[in-house]
Amino acid sequence: MNRVSFLVGGAFGFLISAARLSEYAVIHDMLRLKELDVFLLMACAIGTAAPLLWLMRRSRWHTPFGGDLALVRAPITRSNVYGAAVFGTGWAIAGTCPVPALAMSASGAGLGLVVVAGLFGGIALRDRVSATRANEPSC
Amino acid sequence: MDILPERLPWFVAGPGIGLCVVALYALINRPLGATTAYLETFKFARGRRFEPWRVWFFGGLIAGGFVAALLRGGLSFNLDYGQLGEKVPLILLVPLLVAAGLVMGYGARWSGGCTSGHGIRGTSSLSPASWAATATFMATAVGVTFVLHLATGGAL
Repeated sequence: MNRVSFLVGGAFGFLISAARLSEYAVIHDMLRLKELDVFLLMACAIGTAAPLLWLMRRSRWHTPFGGDLALVRAPITRSNVYGAAVFGTGWAIAGTCPVPALAMSASGAGLGLVVVAGLFGGIALRDRVSATRANEPSC
Repeated sequence: MDILPERLPWFVAGPGIGLCVVALYALINRPLGATTAYLETFKFARGRRFEPWRVWFFGGLIAGGFVAALLRGGLSFNLDYGQLGEKVPLILLVPLLVAAGLVMGYGARWSGGCTSGHGIRGTSSLSPASWAATATFMATAVGVTFVLHLATGGAL
């Protein structure tokens, strides 16, 4: 399982970097709606994965290393929306997001590491907040 | 080595990324996502209980970016940051990027995913939460980018 995970992660990181999504200018131009390539790339990714996942689910796919396929489908909660708005704000400022920031760092860009450090801090902070709230006694 | 094209076209990279989502589900029945990979790597580094496959995935992301850089002419150690780096002095840029990373990380964990977990994997598996999150972060990011553009007099 770990080997598969490493290889898929490697392919994903490679494609993000090869498509130049790890560059500030590419994401900034996308978010200014000057270049639609990244939107098209995302649409292609979803357009490829969605029908295949649908077929696998329909055929009750049994995975070689993880049992019966179970797709994650969650209902909408306030956290999804509020958190996404906060995430979108940071994304717009940094012009990068979690995977491209790693690809940026891996190519030698020192400031990519600065974003990665911030990401670790933010994710760990929110995880702690969630854990604290979950442990609070309810009235 | 300079084997890779200047930029892999969207109609090649997009389906490739889609197949990464499918491969992770098809082989190990796990959802692709970067936020939890960061979180589990953080736990691993702190010596807490963690999910190994997510840490391996995190390592793979770095290795993939590294290989792509090598195939595009080698590593380039620099402190460049596009237009933002040209407009903002380094002494301000570093705290700005840390803050942006913090905001992004906090939001991604709160929302339950980021551009990969919600934006590609969750939408592909037709998860309502992921469609709502993706629409929200896309709209917010476009809005904030336009506000920044106006606020900086068109500099960004």
